[in-house]
Amino acid sequence: MLGMLRRLLSRRMRRRQGSGQAETSSVEGRISSKLPVNRERIKAAFGNSADLVLRNLQAGAQGKISALVVHMDGLVDKRQVAEAVIEQITDIDLKWDNPRQAYADLKVRLLSASGVEEVDSLDKFITHVAGGHSGVLIDGVEKGLVCDTRGWEQRGIDEPTTEATVRGPKEGFVEALRTNTSLLRRRIMGSQLWIEEMRIGRISRTRVAIAHIAGVANDKIVQEVRDRLRRIDVDAIHESGNIEEYIEDAPFSLFPTTLRTERPDKVTGALLEGRVAILTDGTPFVLIVPATFTMFLTSTEDYYERYFIGSALRLLRVASFFISLTLPSLYVAVTTFHQEMLPTPLVLSIAAQREGIPFPAVIEALLMEFVFETLREAGVRLPRVVGQAVSIIGALVIGDAAIRAGLASPAMIMVVAFTGIASFATPVFSLAIGVRLLRFLMTVLAGALGLFGIVAGMFALLIHLTCLRSFGVPFLEPLAPIVFSDLKDALLRAPWWALRTRPQFTGKKAPTRQAPGLRPRPPSPEEEEVHHLVGEEGGK
Amino acid sequence: MSKVEGGKIPGRQLMAVLVLSRVVPMTVAFPMMTELQVPQDAWIASLLGTLLSIPFVLLVVRLGLRFPDKTIIEYSELLLGKYLGKLVGLILIWYWISVVADVARELGEAYTIAIMPETPILVFMTVTGFLAANAARDGLEVVGRMGENGVWVVLFFLIVMFVLPYDEMRFKNLAPVLARGVRPLAAPTGTVVSFFLQFIVLGMVLPYLNRPKDAARYSVYAVLASGLLMTWLTVVLVAVFGPTVSHLAMPAFSLSRMISIADFLERIEAITMGAWTLSSAIKLALFLWASAVGLAQVFGVSRFQPLVYPLGAIAIAFGILFFESNLDLQRFLQFKNLGVYSLMVTLGTMGVLYLAALLRGRLPLGPGVRR
Repeated sequence: MLGMLRRLLSRRMRRRQGSGQAETSSVEGRISSKLPVNRERIKAAFGNSADLVLRNLQAGAQGKISALVVHMDGLVDKRQVAEAVIEQITDIDLKWDNPRQAYADLKVRLLSASGVEEVDSLDKFITHVAGGHSGVLIDGVEKGLVCDTRGWEQRGIDEPTTEATVRGPKEGFVEALRTNTSLLRRRIMGSQLWIEEMRIGRISRTRVAIAHIAGVANDKIVQEVRDRLRRIDVDAIHESGNIEEYIEDAPFSLFPTTLRTERPDKVTGALLEGRVAILTDGTPFVLIVPATFTMFLTSTEDYYERYFIGSALRLLRVASFFISLTLPSLYVAVTTFHQEMLPTPLVLSIAAQREGIPFPAVIEALLMEFVFETLREAGVRLPRVVGQAVSIIGALVIGDAAIRAGLASPAMIMVVAFTGIASFATPVFSLAIGVRLLRFLMTVLAGALGLFGIVAGMFALLIHLTCLRSFGVPFLEPLAPIVFSDLKDALLRAPWWALRTRPQFTGKKAPTRQAPGLRPRPPSPEEEEVHHLVGEEGGK
Repeated sequence: MSKVEGGKIPGRQLMAVLVLSRVVPMTVAFPMMTELQVPQDAWIASLLGTLLSIPFVLLVVRLGLRFPDKTIIEYSELLLGKYLGKLVGLILIWYWISVVADVARELGEAYTIAIMPETPILVFMTVTGFLAANAARDGLEVVGRMGENGVWVVLFFLIVMFVLPYDEMRFKNLAPVLARGVRPLAAPTGTVVSFFLQFIVLGMVLPYLNRPKDAARYSVYAVLASGLLMTWLTVVLVAVFGPTVSHLAMPAFSLSRMISIADFLERIEAITMGAWTLSSAIKLALFLWASAVGLAQVFGVSRFQPLVYPLGAIAIAFGILFFESNLDLQRFLQFKNLGVYSLMVTLGTMGVLYLAALLRGRLPLGPGVRR
């Protein structure tokens, strides 16, 4: 079905290619040996921006050597610039008389920032300055030095707001890329955690990092991630959502094929399964690929609580996934077409409730669903202060007034409300929203064709999901195709000591993750005797 | 050699799809039951039919394995020459299309008779046909995976259906055994075999197996599994309904009507109907896929996908046109019609192909032929 649409669109896009691409100005050429020239070119490149700081210094014997320190106000740690850069250059004891000698000394010895790099193209120099480095230029030398003096205001590490758990770490990612990588690094201290960085966006020059565990992640997948990210050629990346849309496998699907999360522990868990994480500067949401369906019904807490509880919670989530997809449509189908399926008293009671209602059940369901979705959306967008008003009105509208006004039956209200709650039980919002849209479709189908409509809808959905792939991994894996060894961590979670192998598709390179036979056992009788004796001796 | 279909499936999925496609006729209409003269012995007919079908399936597999990575359509051309081979291919494709037409009509009839009498039959047939064509268009891998998932759902419902009416079962109904001798069993056994002969579709699937060596094992498992399910179902049906069972239009459906769960879910037949729809759709998908790939190979088309929707539409139209009424359909499903037709087409083509293979012996048959 989607194939046709896809082909049509791609044809249209091909036709459009080649017309107007965004203008991006970058500074050409190498750094000149004349300081005033460089100064003017830098100034021109930034269009005389207010936050650009250009500081002229005189150094060396009798101040013969002139130097220029460039940095962006607000992106640098001012104390560090003063101590590590400016003080070093202007040290009165230094008696340089040759600019080259001064440059060499500064480069290897004097600049005491943690990272000092030599650049010779002006473009690179400016990029570094724009990223918070301090640039040093010396008159008479056609190279520049950039020192890592980055330091800016950022939000502190906080509990992730969209993925709260009862048990487990309370740290969430923040907007700064380096902080985020450090959160990963702190959890995986082994050097196998490899993080590579690139910049995407012609104007925004956003830093994007790819993290994977060397020796575990499938090289092909890592390379595929790199390739897809390199393909992106746009003005700006505002959030990882932009990247998601450029790299996902099924751009026309309602289902997301990349998983996004705010939790570092979720990312490290995925990395150790052989997956790849994409971190974007400026957003706390990290993308995990390849993502499979069961990951969207998984919360990190499943792995921290004992496995019975983890499994039970997961089953509950699976159930609520199906409820949020089909409950209103089932209600509509049963009350409209298949009344015989319910016991007589219930049918009579529903019929009595629906007595004065002017619409057929489908319209009633769609209407109430619409009201509910509107309330939910309003609740998210409203400022906190007025939030309460919405909940009060919502409770009144959806709960009581609709029934009294004769617009909906109490049974329908219950169905809609329960469906709404069930849809909140899906841990990942991007999946939940797709399901919420599909629910409307299913309701219409059920209104038209009864249970046959629901079955047809589910069948179509199943076809679609079976076709989906995320970076080469079937989306429904391990459910279709059935991979028996991976079922241990899909709808149920086996105990940790039984999770010996990594998922087949992503973790084939290092198939096992723990030693065999880790199941805890009570001590054997002989051992117990020893313990006993030891205990007695201790007593004496 | 141009590859019309690129996917590969494991033997497990082949088995699932075969079981599903065999389960369809016995859950929806169960034609074997309607022509029983001695219902008490139905289970014998079903077992016998199952066992008789195994050699045929092995024959298909054996011939197929002589031509690894060639479908039955391709190697019939190798064996019989260009024109005769194409003719045999077209006969098989016609057969598969007629199976699709027949299954779609059965499903539609079941819906209009039992669940939603006011909706036109065309709706059920087109919707199911469209979905099946959609799955078939995505290739064998998708059909296989859906089969693998669907089989669990269908099995679950079947087993629920077999176990829950326990209260109603009177196993005395099964006596006496063979009261009227073996003779009356001939027709029902023939019907069972004729449905198993649809497994000739294996000839299309074999070259797309991950490990062709599994083919024989898994297809025999499929025959046995579905045969046992069928035998179990006949036993339950006879135990519940007694000798009157052969007068029921849709015995399995009537069985699901007997079920009541905790006095709350009174009649879950609509739910079992859902499971049947699923299995029918997967069967349709498999046969549509086979006929589309086959047709592409007969006429040397490089892609089978464009053929799927037209073939599906044609098959659904046939499903409407072939039969005037449900009665007509039931009559067609009897051994003397469908059974003989199936036997002629499948055994005939397999016989001709096997003979040709024997006569050609070890002659070099062209590229791609080993062993």
